Amino acid sequence: MGVSKEQVESALRSKLAPSHIEVIDTSGGCGASFKVEIVSEQFEGKRLLDRHRMVNGALAEEMKDIHALSITKALTPDQWNKQQQSQTFQPVA
Amino acid sequence: MEHSRTTASASGSFLQYGLRFSTSVPNDPDTHDDFKPTNKLENSDLTLKDIVEQDVKDNHVMIYMKGDPEQPRCGFSSLAVRVLSEYRVPMHSRNILEDPELKKAVQAFSMWPTFPQIFINGEFIGGSDIILNMHQNGELKEKLKATSSE
Repeated sequence: MGVSKEQVESALRSKLAPSHIEVIDTSGGCGASFKVEIVSEQFEGKRLLDRHRMVNGALAEEMKDIHALSITKALTPDQWNKQQQSQTFQPVA
Repeated sequence: MEHSRTTASASGSFLQYGLRFSTSVPNDPDTHDDFKPTNKLENSDLTLKDIVEQDVKDNHVMIYMKGDPEQPRCGFSSLAVRVLSEYRVPMHSRNILEDPELKKAVQAFSMWPTFPQIFINGEFIGGSDIILNMHQNGELKEKLKATSSE
């Protein structure tokens, strides 16, 4: 049995208290692969490897059924805000 | 499998400037004992953990992946190889699909659940997301530069 996008999201919410989270099911519905974008204060002062470890750890149970987990963003709220700002400054085509 | 290499399960391959050198040696009875191939896995003195430790110690860039650099068998492994190939550094690889026990040993060693797994100069770097990220922000270049100057 696969894992639902909601399960992934709620596990991450409860363990990492993200201020922003986006989980995309990239498996085409079978629940075996996900893309995650997550922003959390808990990432403060941690390098990317450790942030990924935290996400993997939070999903330890789910990972048994997930074949592919891509963590595209694991940012602190500061980094996230900066990214958002630099995007809004881009001219609208 | 379309892949015809039938060496032992923990055979490695060596990719440098696009050329691959296999580490397997033909079984030639005339060869002196000293030159006989040593299969690390069959050597009872060495555990899989030892092999992984040696791999990451002996190779500046070590990648445990699905498939091999010439024929990755997973998009994430393929991505990691493509990123690392940009830097034209020697890269040693092992195919974890050929050996479930090796796969477990690597996972236990790095405490990391997925593949590919990349080690640079003995340090665990991460998977494909991290290597891509470090490629984009320039950290990977620095990391590889630091190791190749040694």
